[in-house]
Amino acid sequence: MMSAAVIPILQVTALAKRFGGLQALGGVELAVAPGEFRAIIGPNGAGKSTFFNTITGLLRPDSGRVIFEGRDVAGTAPHLLVRQGMGRTFQITSMFPDLSVRENLQVALLAHARRNWSIWPYARQMHTERAHELLHLVGLAGDAGLPAGTLAHGDQKRLELAIALAGEPRLLLLDEPTAGMAAQERIESISLVHRLATQLGVSCVFTEHDMAVVFAVATNITVLHQGRVLAEGSPAQVRANPLVQQVYLGESITSEGVCR
Amino acid sequence: MSRKVPIALGGALALAALPFAISDFWIFIAIEVLAFALYAVSFNVLLGYGGMLSFGHAAFFGIGAYAAALLVKKAGMAPGLAFALFPLAAMAAAALVAAIIGFFSVRRSGIYFGMLTFAFQMLLYTIALKATGLTGGDDGITGLKPPGAFARPAVYYYFALAITVPALYVLYRLVSSPFGTILRALRSNPRRVQTIGVNVRSHQLAAFVISGAFAGLAGALFAMSSGNVFPGWLNWTASATPIVMAVLGGVSTFLGPALGAAVYVVLEVMISGRTEYWPLAMGVIILALVLLMPAGLTGLARARRT
Amino acid sequence: MQSLLETFAQHFAWMHNPVVVARQALAGISNGMLLFLIAAGLSLIFGVLRIINFAHGALFMLGAFIAVSLSGWLPDGSASFVAMLIGATAGLAVIGVAIESGLLRRIYRAPHEFQLLLTFALVFILGDAVKLIWGNQDHSVATPPLLVGSTQALGVTFPTYRLFLIAAGIAVALGLWWVLHKTRWGIFVRAATMDRAMLGALGVNTRVLFTTVFALGAALAGLGGALAAPVVSIGPGLHVQVIIDAFVVVVIGGMGSVMGAFVASLLVGLVNAFGILAFPGLSVVLTFACMAVVLIVRPWGLFGSPE
Repeated sequence: MMSAAVIPILQVTALAKRFGGLQALGGVELAVAPGEFRAIIGPNGAGKSTFFNTITGLLRPDSGRVIFEGRDVAGTAPHLLVRQGMGRTFQITSMFPDLSVRENLQVALLAHARRNWSIWPYARQMHTERAHELLHLVGLAGDAGLPAGTLAHGDQKRLELAIALAGEPRLLLLDEPTAGMAAQERIESISLVHRLATQLGVSCVFTEHDMAVVFAVATNITVLHQGRVLAEGSPAQVRANPLVQQVYLGESITSEGVCR
Repeated sequence: MSRKVPIALGGALALAALPFAISDFWIFIAIEVLAFALYAVSFNVLLGYGGMLSFGHAAFFGIGAYAAALLVKKAGMAPGLAFALFPLAAMAAAALVAAIIGFFSVRRSGIYFGMLTFAFQMLLYTIALKATGLTGGDDGITGLKPPGAFARPAVYYYFALAITVPALYVLYRLVSSPFGTILRALRSNPRRVQTIGVNVRSHQLAAFVISGAFAGLAGALFAMSSGNVFPGWLNWTASATPIVMAVLGGVSTFLGPALGAAVYVVLEVMISGRTEYWPLAMGVIILALVLLMPAGLTGLARARRT
Repeated sequence: MQSLLETFAQHFAWMHNPVVVARQALAGISNGMLLFLIAAGLSLIFGVLRIINFAHGALFMLGAFIAVSLSGWLPDGSASFVAMLIGATAGLAVIGVAIESGLLRRIYRAPHEFQLLLTFALVFILGDAVKLIWGNQDHSVATPPLLVGSTQALGVTFPTYRLFLIAAGIAVALGLWWVLHKTRWGIFVRAATMDRAMLGALGVNTRVLFTTVFALGAALAGLGGALAAPVVSIGPGLHVQVIIDAFVVVVIGGMGSVMGAFVASLLVGLVNAFGILAFPGLSVVLTFACMAVVLIVRPWGLFGSPE
């Protein structure tokens, strides 16, 4: 799938994590090339959230390695990973509801510019141009002054995307980026992410349940099952894979989604 | 913007001219207002901006007061030197204690954070009560007198003004700075702050130490004016005061708590002068505030304007 | 080095004396039982309502003062004593209902500083109300005649009333255990301490639950106050003191756990009783240090559940 000469932007080897009696991750192997738009799919309980939380430093793996841009980052504090170029969005929309939309971007930009310890200059006018640029990219320029908590759900997701992009990540991890949206909105939303990622040169890894979304934009798909990689490949390859079909309980995976 | 300037100028003039217009008794009250305004505003840096509710903030007010008292009474220094140094000493002592308490407390959040600050404050209270050799125990430390002209109320008032106003300005710059924006983000969603690349704990600790240091300065200012400091200043009930003042004035503006402090102090003076049941009155006021006026006085003013 | 060990050993010289040990142990346990009555209610109120009731000491104090009044009106005797207990318990239950439904209920959704302020307000109001009604001086209540004097226990002579306190505390603990584990209401209460959201889904009337839990907590505090009345100096300011040890107990035992409150009350009572012998003056510092350590290392205490 990847030529030997390309250094993966993210490489995971033998990643394992156990919670009491449950082996959430049982040795996951994965490599993402720069520029990929990789989908991670799998039934509930397959380990997708644990996988994300381990890569982003919120959980410590029991064993295995997480190599980001050639550096072993297992055990690095989450906020440092962000500094090193790994961004993330959350399944349950997470932004700063009490701050205005513009301020949400400003605070991310201030942090990215390493100004978080700056205690004297006035912050109000800092990074406003760049904030507006980002808001324009995601289509929220008109809402800059509104309290972020008052935005509609879909707009909040777009704000979250802008916040993540403010950190100029080279790898963006999106946890169920279309959760809570209606079908048409989902396609629009993921297409926006795909377009911006391509435009800005950001590699993406995202988890998703809706196959229509996956097949619309993913360059490659990894299927997780019971904490292990079951299959991997292009959308066509994964669709045709008998193991994958079996895992989804004898259903056939078509571009319209999973049929029962 | 244009309406704020004349108000600010008028306020500055009033503050400067105050000692000429009122009796010595009320100058003492004005000094108390200044000290408690600083106390309330610094507390609100933690609450209104950082989203951290400390149950034990009186610890720092008290530490500052005791540090100043010990410096003046027990350090064996020339009175003038001790007086010149006491604000700095109070801030340093309070900052040090806040660093220790904060280091342990910010590792937890919400209720556990609050209970930790409570536990540490009670620890300090017990020490103040028991270490009679150092702190005078139950009798506290009394007879604190500023040297020379500073013992005159009007002069001390200008001294307090000269300390409080710049201190408030520093805090204002702090909350308007990038650090201040991070604080507000911490109040809004602490977990998300981590994922924009910021170390949550260290910023919370910094806010805690700064807030504690300025509370200590306020305590020292007040102690030198009232002439004494008692262990009761460190008892858990004393930690209600900064919370009441901040909420009374309104936690969502920078100077709201200062207004709350002014109203609180004046109410306390007027009610205590007429009855010994000030706690009862305070309790009723708090109930009214919490149930009827949750946005505080500044919130009321805003509602009137719109 | 030798002298250091000797000095240290001096602090524990009392261990050689079984009479002292037994007496302190009994004292510690009986004080622990009083603590338990306060802490159990405090813990339940936190577990279900998620409110730290700083006014809980004031509720205890009210119970003691009600006992004072009742003992003034009623003739000395065991029946009067029982009436005092019932009066204080029932009275506080009513006050608890009034406080919860009249005040607390309005601020469940408010920011935490409002909830804190409200309980502080109650501390101030109740503290002064007590002064207004009963005056500024200290009061006392006579030990009921049946329980006067001393009895032999654990090889020592010990005040009978304090032994009664131990029995009473255990009885209340058993009663609470029965209510929490064998009644429908109790199961809802325990469920609430573990997962509040689940209750709504189960269709439980949370309003009634909250009111009854607060009323029970208040009643327990009232009972504690009445039981403590014969052995405690009842004066204004009592409420500021007793709440502190109660917090230590609730933190160590685990917020929301009655079992934890029981175990921790015994622990704190015993540590205080022996601490006074070993390190007079320092034992108070010890309790706060313990509280801080627990909060740092294991904030949900011995029997609480991490959230």
